This record gives sequence, C-alpha cells and structure tokens, in this order.
Amino acid sequence: MDWQFFLEVLIGGLLAGVMYSLVALGFVLIYKASGVFNFAQGGMVFFAALTFVSLVERGVNFWLAMVITLAVMVVLGVLIERIVLRPLVNQPQITLFMATIGLTFLIEGLAQGIWDAQVHGLDLGIPDVPVKVGAINISQFDLFASATAGILVLALAVFFQKTRIGRALRAVADDHQAAMSVGIPLNHIWAIVWAVAGFVGLVAGLLWGSRTGVQFALTFTALKALPVLILGGFTSVPGAIVGGLIIGASEKLAEVYIGSSIGLNIGTGIENWFPYMLALLFLLIRPEGLFGEKRIERV
Amino acid sequence: MSDRTIQDRITLHDSLGVAEFDFSHMTFATEAEVDACYDEIDRRLAATSRQWYFLVIYADCVIVPEVWERFAARGKNTNINYSLGTVRVGTSAATREAIRQQAGRAMFRANIFDSRDQALFAIGEMRKRHEVVGRDAAEVFLRVEDVHLSFGGVKALTGVGFTVNRGEVTSIIGPNGAGKSSMLNVISGFYRPSRGQIIFEGNDRTHLAAHEVARLGFARTFQNIALFKGMTTLDNIMTGRSLKIKSNFLTDALYWGFAQKEEIKHREHVEKIIDFLEIQAIRKTPVGRLPYGLQKRVELARALAMEPKVLLLDEPMAGMNVEEKEDMARFILDVNDQWGTTVILIEHDMGVVMDISNYVVVLDYGVKIAEGTPDEVRADPVVIRAYLGAH
Amino acid sequence: MIYREAGQFKDGYAADEQIFPIRQDRYGIVFILVLAFVGVPLIANDYWFSAILIPFLILSLAALGLNILTGYTGQLSLGTAGFMAVGAFAAFNFMLRVPGMPLLAAFILAGLTAAAVGVVFGLPSLRIKGFYLAVATLAAQFFIEWVLVKFPWFSNYNPSGVISAQPMEILGYAFDTPARKYMLTLCIVAVLALAAKNMARCETGRVWMAVRDMDIAAEVIGIPILKTKLLAFAVSSFYCGVAGALWAFAYLGAVEPAAFDLGRSFQILFMIILGGVGTVLGSFLGAAFIVLLPIFLNVFAHILLPGVSSSLLSNLELIVFGSFIIFFLIVEPHGLARLWQIGKEKLRLWPFPH
Repeated sequence: MDWQFFLEVLIGGLLAGVMYSLVALGFVLIYKASGVFNFAQGGMVFFAALTFVSLVERGVNFWLAMVITLAVMVVLGVLIERIVLRPLVNQPQITLFMATIGLTFLIEGLAQGIWDAQVHGLDLGIPDVPVKVGAINISQFDLFASATAGILVLALAVFFQKTRIGRALRAVADDHQAAMSVGIPLNHIWAIVWAVAGFVGLVAGLLWGSRTGVQFALTFTALKALPVLILGGFTSVPGAIVGGLIIGASEKLAEVYIGSSIGLNIGTGIENWFPYMLALLFLLIRPEGLFGEKRIERV
Repeated sequence: MSDRTIQDRITLHDSLGVAEFDFSHMTFATEAEVDACYDEIDRRLAATSRQWYFLVIYADCVIVPEVWERFAARGKNTNINYSLGTVRVGTSAATREAIRQQAGRAMFRANIFDSRDQALFAIGEMRKRHEVVGRDAAEVFLRVEDVHLSFGGVKALTGVGFTVNRGEVTSIIGPNGAGKSSMLNVISGFYRPSRGQIIFEGNDRTHLAAHEVARLGFARTFQNIALFKGMTTLDNIMTGRSLKIKSNFLTDALYWGFAQKEEIKHREHVEKIIDFLEIQAIRKTPVGRLPYGLQKRVELARALAMEPKVLLLDEPMAGMNVEEKEDMARFILDVNDQWGTTVILIEHDMGVVMDISNYVVVLDYGVKIAEGTPDEVRADPVVIRAYLGAH
Repeated sequence: MIYREAGQFKDGYAADEQIFPIRQDRYGIVFILVLAFVGVPLIANDYWFSAILIPFLILSLAALGLNILTGYTGQLSLGTAGFMAVGAFAAFNFMLRVPGMPLLAAFILAGLTAAAVGVVFGLPSLRIKGFYLAVATLAAQFFIEWVLVKFPWFSNYNPSGVISAQPMEILGYAFDTPARKYMLTLCIVAVLALAAKNMARCETGRVWMAVRDMDIAAEVIGIPILKTKLLAFAVSSFYCGVAGALWAFAYLGAVEPAAFDLGRSFQILFMIILGGVGTVLGSFLGAAFIVLLPIFLNVFAHILLPGVSSSLLSNLELIVFGSFIIFFLIVEPHGLARLWQIGKEKLRLWPFPH
C-alpha cells in the first residue's frame, strides 16, 4: 500500500468534509433551536452565493457585496421564520420537513429568477495551489476553507456560551415551554437563529462557490449534509464537524479504493451513494447519532 | 301482594351456602312493604350467623319507582352484612333494566341472568374463585415475581411481586411516581424487566414483545389516550380485531368474496361492543374530534374487540367527571361479569378503586408496600402513611 | 340538497361497507369511468393523449404507490423514482431476455422486482423513523440510479444507458397509437387503483394507518410493526415499479436512468402533499394538478407577459410549486381531496347553512 497516496486521499477527503460540515452546521443551528429540519439550507447556500457573485459581477465592492448579501440572508431567514414556519408551529416534524422541501423550490426559483441560471466563477483571491507538507500535497484553498470553518465554529461556540442571546438560545433548544415560561421571547430567538443560519449559509456558499463555481448544483450540498447529520446527530455542533470529516474522508477513500478493487470499471460515482449507505448502516447501529441524545420512548 | 308469605320465599340451601330469595310476581309498592320484606330477610340471616351467596329471583317482580331508593338502600345493607356475592335472575327486560340502572348508579355488580340454572352456575364459579386459599393457590392466573426495572440508573420498580386471580378485578394504586404505569408496561410487554418474571397461565412470558403478549390475550388502554387519530371510531375498534381477521392484502385487494365476508363478520362483533359501550352515534366520527370521555370509551372498545383474557387499564377514569366515572366503572364491572375478563387497573380515585376491586396492590417508590382486599388495604397503617406522606 | 344521503337506508353491514356507500358517489365514479373509457377517446387528440393524459395516469399510479407508503403508513420516502426505475429496467430486461414474454406478465414481474428492492430498503424502517428514514430511501434513490448507469448489462450495453422499450402487444393486438396506449394505461391504472382502494378500506389499510398514527398502540393490539411496514414498502414499490414500466413503455419509449432522478421523486411527493395524503383520490388530483399547472402557467404567462423567456418560466414554475406546497401545508394539510370533501359537505347542506 502506498501510504503517501493514502494520506493524500485521506487528507483531501477530510478537507472536503469540512465543507460538508459547514452546510451541516446551518442545519444543526435551526434544528437545535426550533426542531425544524431545514431542507432548504442547500437552497439558502445557493441563494447566498448567487447573490454575492451577481453583485460582485455588477461591480459592487467585494466587502460591500458581502455586507449586502448578509443583510439579504438575514431578511430571508426572518421572512422564512415569519411566513412559513410560524404558522406551522406544533405540526408534526414531517410536515415541517416537507414545508422546507417546498421552500427549497421556492428559493431556487427566486434565486434564478432574480439573477440568472448561469454558472458563475467566484474568486475569493485564494490560489488553489498545492502546498507541500512533508511529502504530502495539500490544497492551499482547502486549508483556508478549514481555517474558516474552524473560526466559524469557534465564533458560534463563543456566541452560544458567552452572550445573553446565546444562553437564551440554548434554553430554547432544551425546552420550548420552559424557555417561554421564564420569559424568553421565542419568536425573537427563532428569527435570530434563522439569521445566523443565513450567515453560515453565506460562508458555505462562498467557499463552495469559489471551488465548484456558483451553480444550481450547490443546492445538492444539502443532500450531502444529510448523512453528515445522521452520523453527528441533529443537535450537536461538534457532531456536525466530526460527521462531515468522516463522510468526506470515507467517500473519497471508498471512491479510490473500493471502486478500483472490485475490478469492475465502476470506480467513479461511488461517492454519490456511499455516504447514504454509510449513514444507513450507522443508523441501524446507533439511531441517535454519535453525539445525539438517546431517546427513551414513554407511554 | 301474592298469596305466598315472605317466609316461604326465603330458602336457605345449607349445603350450597346459597340463600335464595324468590321475589317472583311480587309487587313492592310502598316503603313499608320493602321494609317488611327486608326485616324478615335480615332476621332469618342473622339467625344463621354466617354469610351466604345470594340468589335473588326477580321474575315479573314489580318495584315501583318511588321505592327504588329504599329498596336499593336496604339491599345494600343486607349485602354488606351477610353476602358473599349476589346473582340475580330477571326475565322482564324492564325489571332488568331497572335493576341494572340502580346497580350501575350504586356501582354494584349487576350479575343478572336469564334462568335460575345459569345463576346457580355463576354462584359456583364465584365460590371457586373465593375458595382459592391465600393468593398463591392453583387458580393463580398471572403471577408477577420480583420485578426490577430501571431507566438509566433510576429505579422504577424494585422487587415487585403479586398475583392476579382469574376473573377478578385487581387494582394497582400508589402516589404519583410510585411505578404504577411502569408495572403495567412490564405486564403488557412494553418494557422488559431487568430482573424477575411474569408468569401467565403457568408459562414464563417475561421476554415476549408487546405484540406477542397481545397474542396471548392481553389488551390495554393508555394513560394518555393512544387512539389512531386519523381514523374513525369504527375503524379504531376494528383494528382491535386484527389478530382475528384472516384476510391478507391480496384478498383485501380483490375484496369481493373472502375479504368482504371477513369484514362483515368482524364488523358484527364490533357492533356488539359498540352497543355495549353505548357509542353508536359516533361510529363514523374521526376520533380526533371526540371529547375526552368518549375517546377513553373508544379506547376501551378497541381493547375489548381483542376479546382479551386480561384487560389492563391505565387510569381509565382520569380527567372524567362524576357521571363519566360512574359509566366507566359500570362498563368495567359489566365486562368483568359478562365475559369473565380479568381486569388489572391503575386508578387514582380511591372511592372507585375500593368499590370495584376484588384485590388491591399498593406501590410506593417502586416498592410494594401492601396488598389485600380493599377493606384490608384501607385499614393498613402503612398505606395511610404513604398517602398522607408522613414518613 | 344536491348531495344528500337522507332516504338512503343501509339494510345490513354489507351495504354499509360498500366501496362508495353514498349513491351520488357511485353515480359520480361511474360517470368518471365512462368519461375516461368512452368520452375521452372520442374527443382527445394525439397531443392530449401523449403529452397530458398518459403521463397524468402514470404519475397518478406512482403517486398512489407513494401514498400507500407515506400517506397510509406514514413512512416518508424520497426514493419513489428509484423504484420506478427498477420497474422500467426490469420490464425492459424481462421482455428482452425471456423469449415470448407476455407484456402484462413483464409488467407484473417488473412490479414484483421493484417490490423486492423496496423491501430491502424498507428493512431499516424498523429502527428509524421520520426524516431519518427519508435518508434511507435517499440511499435507495442514488444507489439504484448508480447501479443502472454503471452496469451496462441493465441497458443491454447501450453506450448512453438508454433503454428502448419494446413495442407493446397483447395477444397480437398492438398498442402503437397514442389512443391505444392511453387505453392500456387507463385499464392498468384503473385496476390497480381499485385494488388500492379495496386494500385501504379493509384490514390491510387499517393496520397501515394504525402504524402511521401511533405505532406503540398498534404494537400493543398485536400488529407486527416490521411486517406491516415491509408490506407497505412492497405494495408501494410494486405500484411504483409498474408506473416506471409504463413510463418507459407507454409514455417515453426510450428512457435513461436520469429520467428517474431525485427531482422525479420530489415531484411525486409534491403530488401527494397537494392532492391529499392518505387518500386514493388525492393521488389523482395531485397528479392532475402537477401535470396541468406548468401548461396553464405557460399559457397564462404568455398571455400576460408576451415574450417571456423559457428559463424565467421554469423558475416561475419552481416558485409556484414551492409556494403551493407551503400554502397547502399551512392552510389545508389534507390537500385537494379534503377540499373536495368539504365541497361535498357544503353541497349536502346547500342551500341551507346547517
């Protein structure tokens, strides 16, 4: 076995996994605070990236575009909370899930309707050249993406642990009724969570967009985030990170090693379904995820 | 009044231990007549200084509504002093209904039969039950032995054991958090005890899954109503027949022929239960729209549709008003009487528990602190302490 | 007043357990069947047959399949199109590799193959629920697509993975014109819809709904949960499989695995949300809605905004679909079928308010 090659694949996979983690993070935030599995997170990532890149292309300053997009995402998040989710409070989770599938379509249509359906290149000014660490090549861009993700997670951790809003958020996540009874304004909190999720979506959109181009396929990142969440648990921020790393690494390894070892010419494309199968197997063994809480059924 | 004297109408069958009161063709029109009759009965029974099984023949007996109260009060008094159990024979539907109503209001067992032979047979059954010496004789139906249960380190039940006799009503009582529901969940197979056994009809069934336990003849209701919200009353009750319906998805898809016959056959059975529980009017109503008390009744109907040997009721009267409670108590007793169904129930209302139970088990903090007949339990200082909270 | 059941007395449980207990409903269904079998063939043209009616019927069938699983049994599936693909490719291969294979037998075998695949992917449903299960069915969707693309045997070594459906012929009668294809599709869909309605109103349906509404209570009354869920997966996938086979044979003629992508699964999911979850009628209403909406949109957009671009139109379609889904989930979670029922209630009382 070629260890150097193995390590390169592994590290490449882990770094790609960071990107999945970023998308999954948006899911976890919303799920934690409001119990909604927001399938539209992928659509939000796409919407954010497309808005940003279209602004930049129209000559808006990079940072100004960033601020405008952030504002747009916050407004979008608040609107979603107001118009879609608030009327569905206390509905079964499956209903909420289906509503966010509808929302996905709506956001995708809006994004492409307002801007266009072209593929846009996005250059964040970070050269995607390999750096040599020892004998291994690592993409400089991937390193940058991981660093960004790391900073984002740290910032969120500080936000959750140290600020008043963060503490309120955690209270809401633990128990809606109790949080309401101690005077935490739920609607207010949910709006903030959606805004933060919009921000996370923007970061994810920029990183993904600059890597693969800003295009409709970005919405599929939401699908890849699903197995990540199942591994990591729906309510755990560290779980989203670890889950993303596992999925990223294992799908690349599976692509390279399983694909070629079967001996058939089937190598490419295993990564399309491998994470789901992995998640499926994992579900059968530990339905609550790596970091999720075990549920005791009561009657 | 007819030509026979009251003395003639009282027959004491010493060998059977049965006191027979023949009220046939009698008319009770005034309270004086009622008193005269019961004075004589009480006198005769007092002379024997023992207790009897009562066989009361009501054939074509007329009790005018004005004296019902008096009649019921005197009857209850006599029963308490001298009766081991009462069975009644009545042929006229009106009389029967009158007695049933009186019995229902007073939460008495109605035990009305069509003929004297049936009634005597019922006394025989009753005696068999009573003759079971102690609580662990051969007729023990269900035995819970040394059951332990814990949730992630929190002990819900610690070494609980008791027995349930066939055809009796056994209540599990105790303060909140005493482990009553956990006990019921263990019996119904929903929780597996970490230690201990559940023996049913002589077989160990500790490790069976809930749906296998159902197959053995256990049915239950839930504390928080667990009806199928998207379905009508009728469909909910029909699901109770699902272990008995023999059609499969292919015959169902074809429908005409076998599946139709099965559906109609089981529908007829379900309609009997609907009549019994007096819920004809809500047959086609989605259960989600029903008021609480009716939902509880539909849940009981679904359990009854399974024709269970053991009926487990988790707080069947919680949240009900007095009238609904009385109805429910009457239904439970009628089920117990008419089908001989063994009933195990959890209930908070002590009045109801003491009125309808043959046997009571008291839990506190997951431990059994007392058991016995309602009177024994009521008098037990340990139970009183647990309920008053003075440790 | 128009829709009243007064005066219609049931003289036995058989009468009460009829498929349509109310007389007006019976007349209505007879009218629709006569219209579909006699009226439509008289008036429709080839465009209507091949662009609207045939896809409508096939998608209704697939929606019916999904409704059995999601609507009746409560198991959310995002793999509907995957099971349709299994049906399409299975039917093609049975026709290709078994000499003298009768068409209908190939369709039934295709359905059974899809059912078997459905059962395998339904196995995890014992332990996982809700959108966790959705991920399991997503695995089915992607895995099936991948297998059909990667193993050329399935498409008889066609370089682009396309299968060309064999011509349809039953007992020497060729179903080669759009009208004939419509008739064949209609017959199959009608028979399967009747079977679904029968299952839904009998023991099978009750047990499915019991598992959907409260699996704990279902288990306590002796319903084996896994068996019930797997049966729903099997029957549902059978319906989807037959729909997939029809999609290839009666509608497109030549299909590739990409015709059964995740988008198709979503489309069918939307049909049952809009049409009505847990009703047979809803599957048809939802399919009609989703087939017709783009056509209406197209016509209206061209009237209102002359020269509208097709890309804008397709985005408009996304927006409208998305909005309708959200609207229905908020306002009428039971879909068009429930609206129809409310309409009937109104008719029953009309012209009086109560």
